[in-house]
Amino acid sequence: MSDKIPRDRGAPSSRSTEPLWFLLPVPALLLWTWVFWEAPADLTAPVLAAGGATVVLLTVCAALLARRARKVRELDGRVDAVFDQAATLAERDLPRVITRLREGESAERVLHTLSRSEYPAWQPVLDLVVSEISRAERRRAATVSACATAAGRIQAMTTTMLADLRRMQDSHGDGTAGADVLGDLMHLDHTVARTGRTADSIAVLTGARSGRRWSRAIPMESIARGAMSRIGGYQRVRLHHVPDQAIAGFAAEGIIHALAEVLDNAAKFSPPTSEVHVHVEEVQAGLAVMVEDGGLVMGEEALGRARETVARGADIGEISGTRLGLSVVGLIAHRYELSVSFRPSSRGGTAVVVLLPRTLVKPLATGPTTGGAPASGLPPSPGRGSAPGAAPARGNSPGTGPVPGQGTPPVQGAGSPSPGQGTPPARGTASVPPEPAPAAQVPPTGSPAPGPAPADRPATEDRDTPPRHSSGLPMRRRGQTLAATQRPEPGPATSGPATSSQGFGAFRSAVRGQGPTGTPKDG
Amino acid sequence: MTRSHRDESPDRLHVITGGRSRGADDALDAVTLVVAESAPAPGMQSEHAAILRLCRTPTAVVEVAAHLRLPVTVVRILLTDLIDTGQVTARHPAPAPSQSHPFASPDVLEKVLVALHNL
Repeated sequence: MSDKIPRDRGAPSSRSTEPLWFLLPVPALLLWTWVFWEAPADLTAPVLAAGGATVVLLTVCAALLARRARKVRELDGRVDAVFDQAATLAERDLPRVITRLREGESAERVLHTLSRSEYPAWQPVLDLVVSEISRAERRRAATVSACATAAGRIQAMTTTMLADLRRMQDSHGDGTAGADVLGDLMHLDHTVARTGRTADSIAVLTGARSGRRWSRAIPMESIARGAMSRIGGYQRVRLHHVPDQAIAGFAAEGIIHALAEVLDNAAKFSPPTSEVHVHVEEVQAGLAVMVEDGGLVMGEEALGRARETVARGADIGEISGTRLGLSVVGLIAHRYELSVSFRPSSRGGTAVVVLLPRTLVKPLATGPTTGGAPASGLPPSPGRGSAPGAAPARGNSPGTGPVPGQGTPPVQGAGSPSPGQGTPPARGTASVPPEPAPAAQVPPTGSPAPGPAPADRPATEDRDTPPRHSSGLPMRRRGQTLAATQRPEPGPATSGPATSSQGFGAFRSAVRGQGPTGTPKDG
Repeated sequence: MTRSHRDESPDRLHVITGGRSRGADDALDAVTLVVAESAPAPGMQSEHAAILRLCRTPTAVVEVAAHLRLPVTVVRILLTDLIDTGQVTARHPAPAPSQSHPFASPDVLEKVLVALHNL
């Protein structure tokens, strides 16, 4: 009988073998019949009895075995079902549950949508897992948003502080304050700028927006210098010739921040006596900013790690605890589609090339020419020969146009920004009182301002062609409507005779002094 | 000199002067006239270029500062850079007679006295 067991083992796989168990007594019966036949007559009774007993026992055994086989098959089926459930749960339902939990659905709702009858055995496990994931998700979201909020507040405070410091620098910078107040203010300014960068980094890592948004395109030189102002070793950074381009306002802050992180890395990982060189070049794809240091040569492995850090910057879970800078660069690069590449520098250190896509690059304003600069008596300098006619035009639009009170026209023409230099327009626009229409302050996109304009604006406006979409329709500038609503009512200065009298400008800026300064973080 | 946040620029003064708050030529005061000796060259710091364009005709330091919207001290530092490289010259006004700077200094008076004695 023991030899039947192995055969029985194989049986359940082929479910049609069940009747075989009932054939088990048949050979015994045959055997018994033969023995009964051969046995002497006096042994008939015992043979009959023994045979009968054997057949009965075998039948019982067969029945029991058949039952057990059925049971085993049934249990096998149940085990298979449980495995199937586990697989479905892990492969299909749990990911779905996690996604929905991440999207903010409550644990109860998610559990409810799962068909409970499908997983009776798994129910307690599911409950536990779902509630734990939900709790962890809530905690994570709360932490991130708390960090983002805190960073945002610090950003707002640093922006206010920087504005205050600039005001103080302006008022104490006339040299009459005695001790080196300006120097102290500059030192504070630098510290606050670095603090702001740290807050910006936290904000970027937590997915919040960058510290502020510029309402106008920022010239590339200002971008680079803004980045320099936020790092410790800015005095070692050499900024080389910067092309005559600007960066769209919405991306300017992010790019300043990314460049600041790159510059900071370069300055930190190079000897304190060496210089960090920044070259900005106009290339087919946009603007290439190359930051070269003379520090340690990064090995191929280190370069690979840096590339990897930047590349996976989009995933906050992968950020290493100590190397936040490159992750920040990666996140910003991802957001604005910058391309960041690392390679050994010809100066012996490492070169980082940040490629700003053409979509973010705006030309500095060029417009129809009027006799601005030539009025001052000197021909345009050879250095600005690329577009000699453009300088006077720009000098007139952002300079004399919106600021009717700033000195005599010839001098203004002379002071007009040149296309060969990145910043002058920024200086000029940064310096005008808040009153003039922002459209005029943003040469690249100088669309007609809907708000009140100084009396001499129309002439300027006629010269400033509004930007056109490729379809030929005029485009509104981002933030323009808000700017128009925020702009204070024009004082009497704007409606008065639009002469270029110095006194008038002073009066107006004094009036403007009490004007609303707006929130530091407005977009 | 109040500025709205809208007019701000990412440029900070410490970057414009390279971290210097002193070191300006003491001879430059607010009313010193400066005049450009050369045209702006490409690759120049934009403020320097702006000063050179502004100073084609003699311009007072304070006027330059007003146009650039920068503090006078900063402009003096920038001008000192340009003077050092010979791109700008300063014309100092004749000082007005005052208690400390009388028309005739004691030296001159003494020389006159000696000369009179020698007559």
